[in-house]
Amino acid sequence: MRSYLFRRLIGLIVVIFLVLTIAFVLVRLAPGDPASLMLGPDATPEEVIALRTRLGLDQPIAVQYLTFLGNVLQGDLGQSLFFNQSVTSVLAKRAEPTIFLALFSLLVALVIATPIGIWAAYRRGSILDQTSITSAMLAASVPSFLTGLVFQRYLATDLGWFPASGYGDAGASFAERMRHLILPAITLGITNSALILRFTRASMLDILGEDYVRTARAKGMTERRVVLRHALKNAGIPIITVVGLTFALLVSGAVVTERVFNLPGMGNLVVNAVLRRDYPVIQGTLIVVAALYVLVNLATDLLYLVVDKRVKY
Amino acid sequence: MTFRATCLATVFAFCAAGPLAAQGKIDVAIIGDPDTFDPMVSTKDVVSIVTQHFMETLYTFDDNWQVVPLLASDMPTISEDGTTYTIPLREGVSFHDGSTMDSGDVVASLNRWKEVASRGMAIADQINGIEATGPAEITITLSEPYAPLTTLLAFSNSAAVIYPEEILADEIDEPIGTGPYKIKARQPDQYTQLVPFDDYSQPGAAAGERAQIPDEIRFIPVPDTNTRIEGLLSGQFDYADSLSTEAFERIEASDVAEPVLLEPFGWSLFAVNHKKGLMTDLNIRRAVQAALPYDDMLFAAFGDEKFFQTDGALYPEGWSWHNEAGTELYNQNDPEKAAEYLEEAGYDGQPLRILTSRQYEFHYQMAEVARMALEMAGFTVQVDVVDWATLAQNRDNPDLWDIYITHSPFLPEPTLTSSLFATAREGWANPEKEEILDRFTRETDPEARKEIYAELQQKVYEDVGLIKIGNFNVVQGKSRALSGVTPSPWPVFWNARKEQ
Repeated sequence: MRSYLFRRLIGLIVVIFLVLTIAFVLVRLAPGDPASLMLGPDATPEEVIALRTRLGLDQPIAVQYLTFLGNVLQGDLGQSLFFNQSVTSVLAKRAEPTIFLALFSLLVALVIATPIGIWAAYRRGSILDQTSITSAMLAASVPSFLTGLVFQRYLATDLGWFPASGYGDAGASFAERMRHLILPAITLGITNSALILRFTRASMLDILGEDYVRTARAKGMTERRVVLRHALKNAGIPIITVVGLTFALLVSGAVVTERVFNLPGMGNLVVNAVLRRDYPVIQGTLIVVAALYVLVNLATDLLYLVVDKRVKY
Repeated sequence: MTFRATCLATVFAFCAAGPLAAQGKIDVAIIGDPDTFDPMVSTKDVVSIVTQHFMETLYTFDDNWQVVPLLASDMPTISEDGTTYTIPLREGVSFHDGSTMDSGDVVASLNRWKEVASRGMAIADQINGIEATGPAEITITLSEPYAPLTTLLAFSNSAAVIYPEEILADEIDEPIGTGPYKIKARQPDQYTQLVPFDDYSQPGAAAGERAQIPDEIRFIPVPDTNTRIEGLLSGQFDYADSLSTEAFERIEASDVAEPVLLEPFGWSLFAVNHKKGLMTDLNIRRAVQAALPYDDMLFAAFGDEKFFQTDGALYPEGWSWHNEAGTELYNQNDPEKAAEYLEEAGYDGQPLRILTSRQYEFHYQMAEVARMALEMAGFTVQVDVVDWATLAQNRDNPDLWDIYITHSPFLPEPTLTSSLFATAREGWANPEKEEILDRFTRETDPEARKEIYAELQQKVYEDVGLIKIGNFNVVQGKSRALSGVTPSPWPVFWNARKEQ
């Protein structure tokens, strides 16, 4: 077990090193200059050159890379070119909306997908099963920005039930901030429920055909107990895998939803950073997201130990 | 409490917790976050919109775009030869840090302006000196007359704002100004919160009262147009900048908000590369000018005649600079004539590169229509569609483009249009144009300047210095409860009032 964890941590370091190198190279290969963007359309070339020097962008790429690498080793992801703050503090401020949005939307997805998935498998071939599969396909096919726009227009603007965008006023309470997440969470939750629903249904179908389920029924257990205690528990591993991956995806991939609802999260941050060519922020976000992916995967694997005693590392 | 009851209570709490309704708070949705609060170093409109509330200049513009005193107490006294400007300053004006503005602050700020601001740098060579000639008076000495000086001192981007001398540095992170509002808080990409400055002293009547009516003004960066529209219509924003023309009717039909049409807002243009490539040949430039179907391009870009005007004059009617010189060369839409010019130029099919981006969708739509028309006239056309950051970089490299598409609001003084100058990235150098421009900047008599400007416009058309496509309107939106905001490319909110 210890050596397994050690191997996984080494893997994490390798992944992060690769991501930061690729991110560093890619953002600099892309054309576009942060200095000319920051100074506006009528800036003179002299002003642009002066700003490039001040930002350290006039240094050779190799020097910039080594400096960056050295700083990362000391836990310093650099200084945002745009915010005049460290990347770590920018990311820390942006983490709250993104993480809560990911948690809420995962909750929405689970609440929708798990019962329907179980029921659809239990009543395989029924109208409910067919409807659930069709709805899942539909939910997975409609892009979240469209769902978001429809919700925003009808539920926020027309009916006024929810805020249309943003994350609350300056000094908004926690409840007020979370209220701003309801619509985005439903939007993302619906889109992501499709995958969880299909996985739940498929694993439950496998398990419900197993001999021990038949035995449990033969012993006279109630259907509820057979399905929820015996079948669902054993169908858990694939479901946990997909839930873990969905969570990682939600943290890194809520870009469009954050944009539509103007949430100050990491997704919006990285889009703005790309548009502004804020290199350190792009790199920092990619590193954090890569680390998060690996850690969520690791946590998922470790969760198998809890769910299934037969699993050993 | 059961689990179910707890859940219901939580959901109810979220839904019931409405936004706090502060008295007199104005929420303004702007298109992006200002990169800086130092308006000297930026030429972006979004920086001007926010900073004009807390930074002030010696002069400003009245509703008719006439220069009027702001921190100056009067218009300058100009010497006979037009080279010495003596500017009296208002006394007892406080900065946000409590200090009082004097001539030392003004001299130091203007010296910084000519070193770091692109508009200041452009005339730095002509400024012999800026001196304090009294505690409340400064004198600017020029090497030769320069009539647009007061306009430059009044303009809100690349602005000659006045800071306390003590805080001046290459970079100013926390600007201290004299404006009616001051910064209370800022969360990058979330909001900039302004509150009234209690010790604000009102400028003279010409500049108009800055009544500090809202208790708080919040500028909220909302980059997505649709989100700005929904926020406006749901009552979340009191004012929203730069909305899509497609939303005009929906906003008009709303009970909550109404559209604000800036008519006309500005003009779109094809900037021409005079430094390198195909467009350095006058016949090629004239071929492009003759081939373009200006009205079709405008229609494709703006969709409804309510939002554009096919107008060749560089300033529209109603502006003192308006004239019709040279406009017979506008909107010719004549592919045969263009083909003749191409033949005269000995055009060999080398691609004409149009650099554009979809940051502004109307740029791209104009490029697509232009491509078809130019190809019909015999051009080979290459439209390079890139993101805005790439465009901002590539347009500074004359090897990479022949035409790039841009737009501008109508600026109060023609010399603020950088494309007219040989030093701009387009590099339009023409001896006759330089002579006209020289006369134009030296002449101080307004009527004589208008006549010289007509000559300049004639030259723009004859030599195809740039290609104006047309005028366009911009849609902003405001809450129906809001009053006291004059529509402008740079709207101000110090007199804004909201009915409760």
